[in-house]
Amino acid sequence: MATATPDISPPGPYPRHRRFSLPRVLTLAGGTFTQLVRMKVFYFMALFAVAVIAASFAFADLQTDGQLKLLKDVSLASMSLFSMLFAIAGTALLIPRDIEDRTLYTILCKPVPRLEYLLGKLLGVAFLIFISLILMDVLFSAVLYLKEKSIIAEQINILQNRKFASRELLEANIAAVSDAVTGQGLTWNLQNGVIAIFLKAIVLTGVTLLVSTFASSTIFTIMTSLAIMVIGQAQSIARDVLLGEDASAVPRLIAGGISLLFPDFKGFDIVDAVVTGSAVPALVMAKMAGLTIVYLVIHLMAAYVIFSDKEL
Amino acid sequence: MSTVPAVSIQNLTRVFRLPTLRRESVTAVDDISFDIAPGQIYGLIGPNGSGKSTTMKVLLGLLRATKGKCAIFGRDSARVDSREEVGFLPENPYFYRHLTGRETLAFYGKLCGIRGARLKERTAELLALVELEHAADRRLSSYSKGMLQRIGLAQAIIHRPRLVVLDEPTAGVDPGGSRKIRDLILALRTQGITVILSSHLLEQVQEVCDRVGIIYKGKLVREGLLSDLMSIEDQTEILLRNATPEVLAAVRALIAGQQTTELLHLGNPRTTLERLFLDVTGGSAADAREYVK
Repeated sequence: MATATPDISPPGPYPRHRRFSLPRVLTLAGGTFTQLVRMKVFYFMALFAVAVIAASFAFADLQTDGQLKLLKDVSLASMSLFSMLFAIAGTALLIPRDIEDRTLYTILCKPVPRLEYLLGKLLGVAFLIFISLILMDVLFSAVLYLKEKSIIAEQINILQNRKFASRELLEANIAAVSDAVTGQGLTWNLQNGVIAIFLKAIVLTGVTLLVSTFASSTIFTIMTSLAIMVIGQAQSIARDVLLGEDASAVPRLIAGGISLLFPDFKGFDIVDAVVTGSAVPALVMAKMAGLTIVYLVIHLMAAYVIFSDKEL
Repeated sequence: MSTVPAVSIQNLTRVFRLPTLRRESVTAVDDISFDIAPGQIYGLIGPNGSGKSTTMKVLLGLLRATKGKCAIFGRDSARVDSREEVGFLPENPYFYRHLTGRETLAFYGKLCGIRGARLKERTAELLALVELEHAADRRLSSYSKGMLQRIGLAQAIIHRPRLVVLDEPTAGVDPGGSRKIRDLILALRTQGITVILSSHLLEQVQEVCDRVGIIYKGKLVREGLLSDLMSIEDQTEILLRNATPEVLAAVRALIAGQQTTELLHLGNPRTTLERLFLDVTGGSAADAREYVK
């Protein structure tokens, strides 16, 4: 160490403590994002790229709309899978590891409230999912656009080789084919599907964060979160079957309580509609965004209640 | 100097409930009370499992007290804002290994509200202080144990705290590195910073601490100024330089003539093993770094 007398003199000329500090939360979020990026999670993108490109070449003998539908199906399903994987595995790795490695001691011994720590972790993972979805979306959109253009060119070529009674008829046929293919190609409506995937992944991140505050290990967190995801996916069906239409208020209330703890992921499933080209109303998107906020607040608060009492 | 103690621990008790059906519990800390004056270096010693770490964790707000209170410069240590006065280096610290040394200091600095040019300046200053400028842009995953301990010390003082808590700061560090950490602790004292040092190296505690508390089975069995605790009241030490055999013979003869006085030892004072090691190896910072590698 340096032999000269170090400048370590108090009192610190630094800002006084604030009960809540957004810059502190963003520092934690940035740290979390960097941690996950340096764990090379973006290597998964290569798998996504392979899936999308393979889907764009596969089943060339299908009908034109079938080819585009397959590409959209595979791409959106991959996006959904990867974002949920990031949400569960990324979050599950954070808190238990910080406790195990005692990194948490060094963070909470600074003037950092525990709520800020949780919020920072949540935002860090959310940012990672956001960036990865953007990257996947750009790649998917580019491949879909190129596929769409190539199919249109191919169809025009076929039509031009056919005999039509008049040039007007040929042009009308070309316009009709182009419209049909474009409707199944790259549209803004597809972005609603990507937004729904993002919102669903964020809710899952909140759930995993809550589980990780009381879980004793990463593997327990992952398994429990996966179980909650499966329950969340199936709960609306189970509710319909078990409660029926004439169920009394008490079972309905219990079911409502359960649906707060185990999010109803069915409400986020618009991908199938998007793939078939059905327009998603703005109200549905707003409802999904609202549901995400409600779930996030509930899960974050529950996580805080558990984590604030956690003895380290 | 302020009359408010840097640390005040009053009747601290911490009971852990065991996860058994019979609701058994263990008292890790049992009614401990002591104050630490600002600027003092306080040694907290005791065998493994004696309650040192639990006491420190309660002081740092990581654990709750079952009974009693802890305060840091008059502020309840359970409050988050009391931690702006504290820097902590845990035993065997593991920081984010994906960050570089510079990024680590910047991360902790930002958590303390330091930003911009001030943060850059402070980070560079501390990297120089702990002699890690050469490894500033290397990830911590490539750091040796001694280097991790030094970066840990730097993060502990990044926000210029008035109290620094060091849990086994020299664990796993070679004698050269230990000596340098000791020098830094002494430098902290000259700047008026209060230090709590928990260590198994009693010689180190003896060298740097003003006051010592000995915890055993959760109780504070001895506490006070080191000089008071160490002095053996019925013995006197005379240290001579360049004494001839005649002078020594005269001293022996004088003592032999006394009824109630007994000569216990006469000989050359011994150096410590740590001092001997440093003398033999040269004890330079560079050598110490090489040794650690």
